[in-house]
Amino acid sequence: MSKEKSQHRGGMGTQAMFHLMMLPGMAFVAVFCFVPMVGIVMAFQDYVPAKGILKSKFVGLEHFKYMMELPDIVQIFTNTLVIAVGKIILGTLMAIVFAILLNEIRVKFLKKTIQTIVYLPHFLSWVVLAAVVVNMVNLDGPVNQFIAALGLEKINFLGSNTWFRPMIIATDVWKEFGYNSIVYLAAITAIDPGLHEAAAMDGATWWKRVWHITLPGMLPIILLMAAMSLSSILSAGFDQIYNLYSPMVYKTGDVLDTYVYRMGLISRQYSFSTAVGLLRSVVGLILMVMANELSKRFTERKIF
Amino acid sequence: MIRKKGIAANTGTIVIYALVILLGLACLLPMLNILAISFSSSDAAAANIVGFLPVKFTTAAYAKIMEDRQFWRSFGISVFRVVAALVINLVLIVLMAYPLSKSKREFKGRGIYMGLLIFAMLFNGGMIPTYLVVKNLNLLNTVWALVLPGAVPIFSVIMVMNFFMGVPKSLEEAAVIDGATPIQVLTRVYLPCSKPVIATIALFSIVGSWNDFFGGLIYMTKVQNYPLQTYIQTLSVKLEDMLNSGGSLNSLINAMEVSSQNLNAAKIVVSVVPLLLIYPLLQRYLITGIVVGSVKE
Amino acid sequence: MKGYGIRWCAAGLAACLLAAGLVGCGKDGTGNEDPVAAEDGVMGSYQQELECSMGRRTLANPKFPEGDSYEDNAYTRYVAEKLNIRIRDEFEANGEDYDRQVSLAIASGELPDALFIGSKDILDELVENDLIEDLTDVYADYASDYIKGIYDSYDGRCLDTATYDGRLMAIPGTNLDSAPCVAYVRQDWLDKTGLSVDVDGDHCLTIDELELIGKTFLEQDPGESGNPVGMAFVPYLTADDYGGSGYTINAVTSAFHAFPKLWIKDESGKVIYGSAAPEMKETLGQLAAWFEEGILDPQFGTRTWDDITALLTNNQLGIAFGPWHIPDWLLNNVKGMNPEAEFSAFTICDEEGKVNVAHSNAGSGYMVVRKGYSNPEVIVKMLNLFFDDIVNHTALETEAPEVAAYISQGVDNSARPFQVEVNAYTSLLDDYADIKGCLNGEITVEEVHTAESKSIVEAIKRLQAGGETEVNDWAKYTSRMGGIELIESLTKKEQFNWETPVFRGTTETMKKSSASLGKMEEEVFVGIVTGSVPLDDFDSFVEDWKAQGGEAITAEIEEVLGGE
Repeated sequence: MSKEKSQHRGGMGTQAMFHLMMLPGMAFVAVFCFVPMVGIVMAFQDYVPAKGILKSKFVGLEHFKYMMELPDIVQIFTNTLVIAVGKIILGTLMAIVFAILLNEIRVKFLKKTIQTIVYLPHFLSWVVLAAVVVNMVNLDGPVNQFIAALGLEKINFLGSNTWFRPMIIATDVWKEFGYNSIVYLAAITAIDPGLHEAAAMDGATWWKRVWHITLPGMLPIILLMAAMSLSSILSAGFDQIYNLYSPMVYKTGDVLDTYVYRMGLISRQYSFSTAVGLLRSVVGLILMVMANELSKRFTERKIF
Repeated sequence: MIRKKGIAANTGTIVIYALVILLGLACLLPMLNILAISFSSSDAAAANIVGFLPVKFTTAAYAKIMEDRQFWRSFGISVFRVVAALVINLVLIVLMAYPLSKSKREFKGRGIYMGLLIFAMLFNGGMIPTYLVVKNLNLLNTVWALVLPGAVPIFSVIMVMNFFMGVPKSLEEAAVIDGATPIQVLTRVYLPCSKPVIATIALFSIVGSWNDFFGGLIYMTKVQNYPLQTYIQTLSVKLEDMLNSGGSLNSLINAMEVSSQNLNAAKIVVSVVPLLLIYPLLQRYLITGIVVGSVKE
Repeated sequence: MKGYGIRWCAAGLAACLLAAGLVGCGKDGTGNEDPVAAEDGVMGSYQQELECSMGRRTLANPKFPEGDSYEDNAYTRYVAEKLNIRIRDEFEANGEDYDRQVSLAIASGELPDALFIGSKDILDELVENDLIEDLTDVYADYASDYIKGIYDSYDGRCLDTATYDGRLMAIPGTNLDSAPCVAYVRQDWLDKTGLSVDVDGDHCLTIDELELIGKTFLEQDPGESGNPVGMAFVPYLTADDYGGSGYTINAVTSAFHAFPKLWIKDESGKVIYGSAAPEMKETLGQLAAWFEEGILDPQFGTRTWDDITALLTNNQLGIAFGPWHIPDWLLNNVKGMNPEAEFSAFTICDEEGKVNVAHSNAGSGYMVVRKGYSNPEVIVKMLNLFFDDIVNHTALETEAPEVAAYISQGVDNSARPFQVEVNAYTSLLDDYADIKGCLNGEITVEEVHTAESKSIVEAIKRLQAGGETEVNDWAKYTSRMGGIELIESLTKKEQFNWETPVFRGTTETMKKSSASLGKMEEEVFVGIVTGSVPLDDFDSFVEDWKAQGGEAITAEIEEVLGGE
């Protein structure tokens, strides 16, 4: 009883202290996240800059209705989904495969070197990597020289509506597979080596052991990562696409984020772009909550 | 681990080694390409004939960078913003993560804070309202416009929070019995055993602020205030822009004398160097930090 | 409880900031600031220093001498010296980045005192939102007679582009008619292949002759590239303005009487959209035929601007379409790589030998003043300074040596705080007459009117004297003695057939639909040319175009025109 009391007394101070520790951070979040959210009302207004938010006329859901009528928007949602899903699936697969392969490397020096190299692109900006990619794949770049050497027609990868989306997905997988393999590699090393030994004793081949031991052992983390990536399904990567696209490939490469940017900051359709942005946020929020629930149910872990 | 035996293992091993090395090369070669361009002569670079080795080796581009005042100015701005953001991020993250790592019973109101943070992480008011806030706080054209809007990286807060949850309770209890305040518990018990996660979020913070170009595009209204990535991003001239906005003939001629490719490549190479210097220092903590911090059991 | 207190505190803080930060952005434009007194007269200086904040469009390569910047250079110093105005740049950016800064300034409702506006739709928006000052009176009171003369040479067509309900809302840049779209053809290749085209020497090619050149260049590969291309065009195919016609089909469309992307009146007086007219279908049919034959670049559709420039410099392509001045900034690269390259200027005529051209939009780029600025006349004073005082200065070298040095060194014009060009309607041919006269010995170099013309005369003289010459001398020679010579001779022979676009503005429906309509147009046209869409689908394109807003836009334009 006395112990509880003292804890309670201390508890009052501790509680206040806790709130105090939260305060500076929450103040920043309030100013730079919550205050701008007031701007969301623009989505329901015909925002006129000269009048400001207070005096602009409310138009209800008109911008959302218009959005639905716009042929562009279907295209843009399709682009976003195709690119994002492509990145998630291929990126995850590639990271898993690489982790499994890398785990087999026994030469320590080689393993460390390769790890350092493949993690590196993750840490470079798309401003830098876009220049790298453009140099590699432009019509006279090494990739096209190789293609020409094979006797094939050169390909304008970043200017072709056939190739743009695959290029975006491929370059993103290239940038991130090494880094993403970190968690999978950790999951593999956490698997009891005894299982492998026993299986090897029984004459199981490498393939079989990967299939029956390694992959099942990684499954929880794979599911968790997949669930987490669900929330990024509407963000196909602004930095990447902004630095690689051109009007020629708007048809296949324009995604929600770039569209909102151009509508809002170049075409000055403030209300409309806010409406598109809002829709994107709402869908993103729903997906995130779903992901958390799925993750809780299937892996008994929560993301937050 | 056991040694594999048998013939299948041998050919298999060769294939695996080959694949891994191939993937390593896939990451390395594009970087070598840009490095080679930066060390090539400007006409070779313009003719697009540089592969993975320099053509007509020269360090002229690097010599030119040395004299480029704007490049170094932007470089300095980037360094400053990284340091400022790192300090602010780490302090705020750690302060917030500690109370949030307590259970709802230990910290009343945790649920509401978490709700607000998750909401703030997933929802945003859009570029223009955020711009208006920054503008009205008189932050335009200052480094703080780049630092303060991202002062609390919520994802990092959650990572550190998850890591703190894994710290054994007994350590804390012992400290509390000795009469330690929450701040003392945090600095004496939690921080010393949280090196991996702190290193990881520090790396996130550094990489994130060094690589950001969009903040500079929006919040800096003059080239001389651009951070390095923004400066590099705007190097390439979009000719169509020129043609469609009534530029004079004199402007067209000047615009076409685009800064040479090898120079741009060298700028990119130099811009990557600081990250390459920091990266090995923090890399060894990365794995523990990410794995432990990312999920909650 | 305490916890809630803190939370509400935070919420309160947020609310306060919200009020200050967001809502407060719609600044009232009413109530002008007190003007700073100025001496009377169009060139008069202010008695006390006047600060003018500006939005400036910049160029990545402005060629400033060491130490100078957009904010502080010979021109801004000249403005300070002559007018006592101190220029302070609120924002500086180039290309799309500039548009973004303007958008952000509009969104926050706080424009700089004066700024450059690149496009008509931004100007429309500024007027609609009542964000800019009416300049009618300051133009009438302050513009010098010389300047007024320049604008009058356009018969009001230029000022009209910035006039709303009879009020002048911006100072427009001028854009003189410099049609036609020129086809620069490799003369050394014509000689090498012994091709006989343009027998009458009027530098007008028929469509058949153009086809013959493309076919011959493709088959004989006179550049010995091993991979020749007959003709190449950018994927967007057409341009609505002369300046943007590089690598477009505008020269070809004119032979078919087609005026893509322009609003014109047909014979019956009805407003039609040039891209949806039957003549356009004919043009596309011709291009599709060329594509099928291989004369038109098989990689058309994915070949970008830069790729086409590369084709030219690699000796794969021998025909370059564009405005008369492309030798100065595009073909100079070709000459630099291939010293043997020579270009002759041609244009494409119709079956009657006429060259069909459309009048340019007389206004191009605008200077505006923020609503409520104390001294809106600064913009007109700067206009006088740059396009009257400096242009007509007799002793610039001695009295303003810095400014003279800027001109001779080719420092970018964007360095001027007044960022649009203002030249008389006939200035292109007037200047050319000077150049030609001087080269023929009719006038002396000193009698040549502008500094630019003088430098061109000197360049051409260097070239004609032989010996070591720079590529840029060659470029100036080719663009003037080729390109402008062609314009002059066609003008003299009255071989032009002028079409006047009836509408250049933006209507309500255009605001909503023009992006998607433009996209549809480009896709269908590229499809037709490459054969993936049959030619007759042009008709269904016209139907779709009408249904998706084209019809409404046409009606809106007729209404505007009817109301005049």
